[in-house]
Amino acid sequence: MAKAFRNTRKGITGELEAAERDLIRRLFEDIISMLEREGIADEDPLAAMVGLDSKAVKPEDSALLRLLPDAVKNDDGEALEFRRLTERSLREDKVAALRASSLLLEQSHVQLTAEQARLFARAVNDVRLVLADRLKIETDEDAQALHGIDDWSQAEDLDTYLALVYNFMTWLQETLMQALLDGLGRPGSVS
Amino acid sequence: MEVMTSSIYPDFALPAVVVNTIVDAEAETARDAEVEELSATDVPWVVIVWNDPVNLMSYVSYVFQSYFGYSEARANKLMLEVHRQGKSAVASGTREKAERDTVAMHSFGLWATYQKADQA
Repeated sequence: MAKAFRNTRKGITGELEAAERDLIRRLFEDIISMLEREGIADEDPLAAMVGLDSKAVKPEDSALLRLLPDAVKNDDGEALEFRRLTERSLREDKVAALRASSLLLEQSHVQLTAEQARLFARAVNDVRLVLADRLKIETDEDAQALHGIDDWSQAEDLDTYLALVYNFMTWLQETLMQALLDGLGRPGSVS
Repeated sequence: MEVMTSSIYPDFALPAVVVNTIVDAEAETARDAEVEELSATDVPWVVIVWNDPVNLMSYVSYVFQSYFGYSEARANKLMLEVHRQGKSAVASGTREKAERDTVAMHSFGLWATYQKADQA
């Protein structure tokens, strides 16, 4: 059974059952394949080394666009130019955080340093961003409307199932953030 | 998925909702409070964080504290600005810093853009 993360003398600790860890790892894998699937068009090794991708384009998939948003508003040309300079590195950075986070889930007892907890929080957040896109959560009211969905025996259709997973990941991230925030400014604790 | 029964979520309680953010780049020195004292002419570029219904308030506040080094009070103020007003200029400075901060916000999953301060 999942137990909330807490900030302890041994680090940030929580408990996740095997089925929960399997689910989270599969979600991480899904996001990794999203970030990698469209591939890196520009295989120039020098460009790769410095993180450039001269062929990068704005993602058509709204979920992928949420992970890799435009950095400039109201100027598509400028946004695209910036994307070609930075998107490749951002993708790699996100994939690295997702991969590292998968490796943190080897045991039911999850014990994290602050740095590991930060990586894990980023990975969980990216999962939530994608799930929210699939669930068409566009307003605070949309998000509120899903909060009551917590009965796994009612998971009979895809949207309900996604909402249950989303709420679980939200709960997980909230407990993780409370544990991390607990550590900020508290001498000797993990932050 | 049949293993996912409600009984495995004993600790499950929904958090107070969710914020979203976007960041604007402010001063090179924008480590904490003095940001607000800088005028538009001193602050050529800003990072704006935009609201979204997914990012948790706690997460956004933590990102502002841990990445920018802001105090809890300042981080929460900016977070609530994002939440209530739809956006907030969270940092400022040179164009290079604004770009760097914007990418950092994207790595955290916050929705951020950079722009000239006089267009904010």
